[in-house]
Amino acid sequence: MKDKESVVFRVASDKPFLIGMGILGGSYLLIIVSMVMADLFFLNYIDQSVLGNEMIRQGRHVESGVVVPTEKGRRYFFRAGKNETGLRQVDGSLLGTGLFTADSDEVAIVSSEEGKPVTASLRPEVRLKNFAITNNVATLTTDEPHGLLWGEYIRVSSSDVVGWDGVREITETTADQLSFKLDEGADLAGTLRLSKPNPLVQALRSRDIRFSIKLSLISCTLTTLFSLWIAVPIGYVMSRFQFRGKAVIDTILDIPIVLPPLVVGLSLLILFRYMPDWLSDAVVYKWPAVVLAQFMVACAFAVRTMRVTFDQIPQRFEQVALTLGCNRNKAFWRVIMPQAKGGLLAAGTLAWARALGEFGPILVFAGATRQKTEVLPTSAFLELQAGRTEGMLAVSLIMIAAAVVVFIVARTLGMKRIFA
Amino acid sequence: MIRLADITIKQGGFELTGIELELSSGKYGVLMGRSGCGKTTLLEAICGLRKIDQGKIILGDRDVTNLPPAERGVGYVPQDRALFPTQSVREQLAFALVLRSLGQSEISRRVEELAELLGLDELLDRLPDKLSGGEAQRVALGRALAHKPSVLCLDEPLSALDEELHDEMCQLLEHVNGQTGVTVLHITHSPSEAKRLAGCHYHLVDGKIHHDV
Repeated sequence: MKDKESVVFRVASDKPFLIGMGILGGSYLLIIVSMVMADLFFLNYIDQSVLGNEMIRQGRHVESGVVVPTEKGRRYFFRAGKNETGLRQVDGSLLGTGLFTADSDEVAIVSSEEGKPVTASLRPEVRLKNFAITNNVATLTTDEPHGLLWGEYIRVSSSDVVGWDGVREITETTADQLSFKLDEGADLAGTLRLSKPNPLVQALRSRDIRFSIKLSLISCTLTTLFSLWIAVPIGYVMSRFQFRGKAVIDTILDIPIVLPPLVVGLSLLILFRYMPDWLSDAVVYKWPAVVLAQFMVACAFAVRTMRVTFDQIPQRFEQVALTLGCNRNKAFWRVIMPQAKGGLLAAGTLAWARALGEFGPILVFAGATRQKTEVLPTSAFLELQAGRTEGMLAVSLIMIAAAVVVFIVARTLGMKRIFA
Repeated sequence: MIRLADITIKQGGFELTGIELELSSGKYGVLMGRSGCGKTTLLEAICGLRKIDQGKIILGDRDVTNLPPAERGVGYVPQDRALFPTQSVREQLAFALVLRSLGQSEISRRVEELAELLGLDELLDRLPDKLSGGEAQRVALGRALAHKPSVLCLDEPLSALDEELHDEMCQLLEHVNGQTGVTVLHITHSPSEAKRLAGCHYHLVDGKIHHDV
């Protein structure tokens, strides 16, 4: 029989525990990073060809493939759908998604399975038929409908004349005509190439989106300043003083956080029905409504952050300052606020980021009027509604960039404070 | 002089009643008592950081019962020292003087004086997180002494120090008391500390103060 005393006690390994935590935490991190990366990868950064109408008749695949007549020597853009394996040219080569030059009068779309509906797309590259210049405005005629809209941007390149090159705003369109302004003294060009600039350039060029970038930056900054202005005193009072009804106030302060954002917007809209006309005329569906809608939500987050910040600064500091000759006011500004800088920065960043992403309340309370109450989330929404996923993505990237810049600035300032 | 006359402090279930204490000017008083018996509360009341329900607090020849802490002329060193984390040693020593709008030259003269008294010359430009326990304690002491208070309230000032520093600080406190003539009220748990420092010896037991001569 074994001696009981000699049995060594063994504790189970911590590996499963640590690995489990690593996997759970790691997968979340992975999703965050890949989410942003996906946006960056999806966007097409290269200029796109101007394409004409769809050439494939929709229907079901037959054995021989779907034959589409083409024009020899012309360039086409083919995108294989989920039911096609590619495009066969007469010489037998099989092409995948991309631009190609037709080498005969027809191509065949090769189906992956017979009887399935066609999902591929084939569109000709638009060619210029002729152009004219009147009063420095060029009017181009294309041989196929170009599908470009008024207000969109087009990149014009010309190898032999000046005054044409560059990204130009389309000022007038019909199905196969488009006009844009040229530089002073532009001459008739020999060869011209048109292409669609990438969505990011389109977005940054667009007057509407430029306006919304500007309005977003200004309104978010105003919202942040107002939020901190309000959050510091509320946070301080809630952290330092005990009084009757504190629990009720605490609950009220959380209402904007728990309320669905749309409801916040609607409630503001209804509240302003009871306001004097001059006030509601000045606010509702105007830019002040944007700031107010952002502020209502962002401030609640700033208040929470400031309260936690002040909670973490012991009262002792104020007490010592009081004995040294401060009144409460001086103790607050000389002793407490310098210590709350980090929290203030965090609250400001949080408020800014919340305000930047605010959409629902703005839509309800300020509307989505271009060049008036359009902020970046509104732009993204309008792009999506117009069916321009790429445009929406471009606006999203602008928002990501703005948020990243603000976070980096905040972090750098925070670091300075810590390492100074 | 510190004189507490018939002090009553009620807070929640905790109560101190009929507290009497008298410590004459320039004396070193040590107040002992068990944890939670109300020593710190009493000290805070003297500093004006806690409301009293009844009684009078007289510091020097002034009745300060209803004065704000700033006007009582006390120096306060709390148990955790509470050095302002964002200020250098120099700024902390000058804190009370700046509030009194003294001239620049006078402030720096006083700061140097304090630095010499407490041996802080080398540390003037450091931030509190770069100070050792003993150094931090000396800075807290210097900050409390800067405005030349008539009364110095120390809440367990030596409890976090090791044996050697402990002895050094005892010497320093005696020295400060002797040099500046400030009346000191010192809270401690340690009988040896009390024995070493006390000119007057008080015990707070069951809400009453006993004076050992």
